[in-house]
Amino acid sequence: MILSDGVIKMSEQPIALHISNIKKKYVIKHITKKPDSKIERLKLMGYNLLHPIKSNAKEDFWALNGVSFDVKQGEKVGVIGKNGAGKSTLLKIISRITEPTDGKIEFYGKVSSMLEVGTGFNAELTGRENIYLNGAILGMTRAEIDQKLDDIIEFSEVGKFIDTPVKRYSSGMFVRLAFAVASHLEPDILLVDEVLAVGDTRFQKKCINKMKSIADSGKTILFVSHQMNTIRQLCDRVVVLKEGRVIYDGEVEEGIRLYNSEAYLEKQLHYDYTDLPRYPDFDLKKAQVMSLSVLQNETGIYEANEPIEFKLKIKVKVPDLGDLSFRMMIWHADETPIETAFTKTFASITKVGDYDVEVKINDHHLAPGLYKLTIILSGGDSSANSENLDYVYPAFVFEVLNADGTSRNWSRSWGWVHMDDVDVKLVGEKKE
Amino acid sequence: MRKTVIEPNGKNLQYWKDIWNYRELAFNLAKRDITVRYKQTRIGLGWAIIAPIVNMFVSTFIFGTLAGLSSDGSAPYFIMVYAGSISWSVFQKNLSQTASTFISNADLMKKVYYPRILSPLGASLAGLFDSMISIIVLVAMMLIVGYYPTVRFLLFPIFLLLNSALGLFAGLFLSAFNVKWRDMAQIVPFALSVLQYACPVSYSITSIPEKYRLIYSLNPVTGMISAFKWCVISDMSFDTLSFLVAMAWLVFFAVVGIVLFRKTERNFVDIV
Repeated sequence: MILSDGVIKMSEQPIALHISNIKKKYVIKHITKKPDSKIERLKLMGYNLLHPIKSNAKEDFWALNGVSFDVKQGEKVGVIGKNGAGKSTLLKIISRITEPTDGKIEFYGKVSSMLEVGTGFNAELTGRENIYLNGAILGMTRAEIDQKLDDIIEFSEVGKFIDTPVKRYSSGMFVRLAFAVASHLEPDILLVDEVLAVGDTRFQKKCINKMKSIADSGKTILFVSHQMNTIRQLCDRVVVLKEGRVIYDGEVEEGIRLYNSEAYLEKQLHYDYTDLPRYPDFDLKKAQVMSLSVLQNETGIYEANEPIEFKLKIKVKVPDLGDLSFRMMIWHADETPIETAFTKTFASITKVGDYDVEVKINDHHLAPGLYKLTIILSGGDSSANSENLDYVYPAFVFEVLNADGTSRNWSRSWGWVHMDDVDVKLVGEKKE
Repeated sequence: MRKTVIEPNGKNLQYWKDIWNYRELAFNLAKRDITVRYKQTRIGLGWAIIAPIVNMFVSTFIFGTLAGLSSDGSAPYFIMVYAGSISWSVFQKNLSQTASTFISNADLMKKVYYPRILSPLGASLAGLFDSMISIIVLVAMMLIVGYYPTVRFLLFPIFLLLNSALGLFAGLFLSAFNVKWRDMAQIVPFALSVLQYACPVSYSITSIPEKYRLIYSLNPVTGMISAFKWCVISDMSFDTLSFLVAMAWLVFFAVVGIVLFRKTERNFVDIV
């Protein structure tokens, strides 16, 4: 692995963080019986008063179950995995907020964590007072803060409000100041947990650039995020956690692909949307897409340009709904929108009832990868009066393979659509 | 570069080093407490004075005037009461702040690491600031009524610190239970208000009959309050017995309190 400047080989760097077989057990208490009457409740209270030590049924839950990996000095490692995979627990243990149940961690130098910006801020204190307080909480000395104070104030953009109590700050100003303090820490190992999404888009960009410059300065970074694009920008290696174990440790794109496919989304052949939550502006009072069944395919994996076919069940709840049509969108699993289809009117509805519709997507031109489909059902007595009746997302998850039957070797930087009808002709030749 | 090892039941040496490394934090926390406490209040620091003065008038009226108890030595009754209540409130504040430290600082402790003992330590430092103000008022009152402090008075910082430490260590002891049983949040203030009457705060220790004096002196706070009063009241004799008992309690709470506190801070985040 090679650093961005291309000079230092990672394999020659010393180890900064050594994580060995870390386990963390939580004990979950179950309340055996809920008191269902006042007398029951009094009895329970009396019981608890007489048996203050005895507690309810317990169950062990292993948030981390043997996690091991090493991080070399200057390496930027992304830790990904769906909610509950153990990412935050791991960072909490490395930052010494809680102790592991088993295992050992060794690290060299100072560790600082940005687990949540604004920790320890006090609303009554001014911006300046909070910089000192927060800085001390995060492990900076007064001398260090004195030295960085101007930079912090400038970065936060709160300007003349620096001597105003932070309770009078807008929420934007507050997070900007908080991030400014946290990002001016100078640890040897920096732990970051999803803090980049602060402020408006412009400030978010500034935050990411700041993180990048910290990364480029040779600091070791452990970065937990659900935003794959940020992981791509900042990390040179990812560790994928699933149910408290490491399921992948290595190259970024491959890790993200695994996270998207195995840990995050599940391909199915039948989807029931009855209880799928919709956006609030869709009350489903007129019509609703009820379910989707995949046709002509038993795996949810398609070869290059293989048509995607499925059957939809639609429930119409009011008469004279008019002309129905779909808008269908395909997204890459990392949330990049790829392409959209506006279908023709497929039915003119006058009666309440259930309707079955077959859909075939022919030339999708999708590059190898994992995708999601959105289905928007529209209806109205004329195209001008058409309104969106239902919005199903994600309606369908599927994978597209390469022409050679693999899903690899497609670079993200090429985009997600491939042109498969390009004519190239040799029209001239000059021989020397 | 400094090497850190994280293991279940982590090493103690590391912890004491960390306390030293993070020492500035205790002062920052104290500063925060003091600033926040008096910001936006109309009389600001005045509140540090008003509460003990009101307490002094009420106690003087009940114990001195109604019950007709005698003061320590030749001190005016209200001076004796005021000295007693300064000493009591140092103990009481330290104990109750420390006992609830895991609960009241949970938001912070769940997010960042620092040696947890710095939270009660910071609160304790802020408390010392309050008591300094009370002591200035005490001296002012003594000068006004013409009851002048003697050389003994110079020893008060020692007794004040010992008293703070007693409250702090006893609080560490209780904090472990506070995490597990929230009932402690109800019990501690209740127990403290009872304990206050079992201490020579508003009356002289000489009001206690000789035969009960030994049992009375077993109270950890008795010795601390008597010693503080001794600094203020020039012709009061030093109650060695109760002071030695208090020192024994101090050592006991220091050892057991720190052990329990350390045990609790390792994993309390998972419980709170």
